[in-house]
Amino acid sequence: MSSAPPTPAPGIPDVAPRRRGPRSGDVLLVILLAIAVLHFLRPAVFDQPAVQAWSTVFVAVCLQALPFLVFGVLLSAAISTFVPASFFARVLPSSPAAAVPVAGLAGAVLPGCECASVPVAGSLVRRGVTPAAALAFLLSAPAINPVVLVATAVAFPGEPEMVLARFLASVLVALVMGWLWASFGRPAWLRVREGHVAAPGESRSESFRAAVQHDLLHAGGFLVVGGLTAATLNTVVPRAWLDAVADSPVLSVLVLAALAVVLAVCSEADAFVAASLVGFSPTARLVFLVVGPAVDVKLIALQAGTFGPRFAARFAPVTLVVAVLAAVGVGAVLL
Amino acid sequence: MDRMTGHAVLLLLGCYVLQVAVTDAHLAYVQGGFRPFLLVAALVLIAVALLGLLRAWRLRRAAAPDEQSGDGNGHDHDHDHGHGAPRVAWLLVAPAAVLALVAPPALGSFTVARQTAPIELPGGVADTLGPDDPGQDFRTLPLVQYGWRALSDDVSPLVDRRIRLTGFVTPREGGGWYVSRIAISCCAADAVGITVVVDGEQGDLAPDQWVEVIGTWAPPVTHPSGGFPEAVIAPVSVQLIDPPADTYQG
Repeated sequence: MSSAPPTPAPGIPDVAPRRRGPRSGDVLLVILLAIAVLHFLRPAVFDQPAVQAWSTVFVAVCLQALPFLVFGVLLSAAISTFVPASFFARVLPSSPAAAVPVAGLAGAVLPGCECASVPVAGSLVRRGVTPAAALAFLLSAPAINPVVLVATAVAFPGEPEMVLARFLASVLVALVMGWLWASFGRPAWLRVREGHVAAPGESRSESFRAAVQHDLLHAGGFLVVGGLTAATLNTVVPRAWLDAVADSPVLSVLVLAALAVVLAVCSEADAFVAASLVGFSPTARLVFLVVGPAVDVKLIALQAGTFGPRFAARFAPVTLVVAVLAAVGVGAVLL
Repeated sequence: MDRMTGHAVLLLLGCYVLQVAVTDAHLAYVQGGFRPFLLVAALVLIAVALLGLLRAWRLRRAAAPDEQSGDGNGHDHDHDHGHGAPRVAWLLVAPAAVLALVAPPALGSFTVARQTAPIELPGGVADTLGPDDPGQDFRTLPLVQYGWRALSDDVSPLVDRRIRLTGFVTPREGGGWYVSRIAISCCAADAVGITVVVDGEQGDLAPDQWVEVIGTWAPPVTHPSGGFPEAVIAPVSVQLIDPPADTYQG
C-alpha cells in the first residue's frame, strides 16, 4: 500500500516511519511519550472552541463507524477463513451480467452500514466472486438492508414513498454500476490487496484472528482518514450556506449530493439527517439518501484501501453521477 | 508497522474505546443506546490484540531467542506471516491521541452558532399544553417543542402560561441571547442547534453556561442573517444549573 503518506493529526508529531527507518515499536513509544508530555503541558490551543468542536466530531465519526467496521471485518474474516470459494461459484450465476442482480439483491440481508460492506466486498473478490457482482453488493448492502429501510420509515413518518424511492434508486445504482463494471471495467484498475495468507500448519482460529487484525489495521486506518475529512468539513462549512440554496431545484440537488459525500454520515442515520434538512425538496433529500451510502469521503478512503487508489479514483466519481441521476429519475416518478 | 506494533496499536485504541463506553464520556459523541455496540467493538479489538501478543510470546519461547525477536528487526520479515500493516494503520493512534489530549466535550455554543436550522413546524393543530409540573407554577418543555408551539399559528395554549426551558447559553447578534441545545440523530457529526431567543440582557452569562429559564411566550423575531422566524421567551427568572449527563436532545 503506497498511497499518500498519512497526514499527522493535530497533536501527533510527524514521525511517520520510513522504510529501513526506525523500528516501528520505537516510533510508537515516541508517539506515546509525546502524547504524555502534551497531556501535561496542555497547550491553550486544545481549549479553543473550534479545536474542541473538530475533535468532538472526529471522535464521533470514528466511534460511530468502529462497531460497524469491526462487524464487517469479522464477517469478512469468516468468509475468508470458513467459506470455501466453491460456495460462491455454486450460488452465483457464472455470467457476470446475471450475477450482478443476484449479488445486488443479496445486499438486503447484511444489516450494517457502508463501513461493514467494504471489507466484506473485498473478501468476496478474494474468494473469486466476479468483481462486478461484488461491487453491486458493496453498493446495495448499506442502502437497502432492513435496518436502514426501517430507519428511513421512522425518519419520514407518513411518507412510505420515500422508503420505496430510496430502495429502488439504490438498487438501480448498484445494478448500473455492476453492469458498467462488467462491460467497461478493467482488471488492472482493481488491485484487491492480498488478505492474510495462512501459514502452513497454522490453526483455523489463528488464521481467523490474524485476518481480523490485518483487516482492522488496513481498513481502520482509512476510516480515520475519512473521519479527519468529515470533521474538518463539518467544522468549516456553516449550515447557512446550505439553507441559502434550498430554493433552487438544481442547486439544491447538487448541494445535498455534495453534502452526502463530505458529511459521511452512517447510512443507518442519514435518513434522520435528511429529515432535518427542512426546506429542501423531497427529490433533493432522496439524492442525499442515495448518494450517502454509495459515495462519501469515508467510503472513498476505505475503497482506496481495499481495492487500490486507481480503483477508487474511477469508481467513486462515476458512482456519484449514477447515484444523482438515479435519485432524480426515481424522485421525478415517485415523489 | 510490524506485527508487534500492530498488536499494541489495536490494544491502545481498544482500551480508549472501552473507557469511553464504560463511562458517560460516549454521550458527548454518540447516542446513549449505542453503548453496547461500542463495548463489543472495544472488546473485540482488545481480544484480537491480546491473543496476538499471547501467540507472539509463545512463538518466541518456542524458538531460539536470537532468531524470533517477535517485534521485527526493521526489515519487516515476520517468520510466520507475509507482511506487517501499512503505514496508514498509524492513523489508528489518532482517535486515541485526540481522546487523551483534547478530551473533547459535548458540542456547545460554537456549533450552535454555525449549525442552527429553522425549526420545522409539524403538521396539524397544536394540542393543549398539559398541566404544570407537579407542585410548580410552570410547565417544562423541550426546546424544540416550545420552538414549534411558539411559532405556530395558534399560540393560545402558551398564553398566560409559565414555561421552563433548560439549555446552554449561546450569544446572539441583534439583541437578547439564546437558550440552546444540540440535537443529534446518530452521532455528533449530524448535530443541529436548537435555539430559543431569551428576550433580555446576556449580562455576565458565559457562553456554554447551563441555565434554567422560566418565562412566558413573546412574539417571534427574525434571525438576523438567516431571515427565518425564531421563537422567543420573555424571562421571569434565569438560574444557573449543572449540565445534564446527556446534553443532547432529540
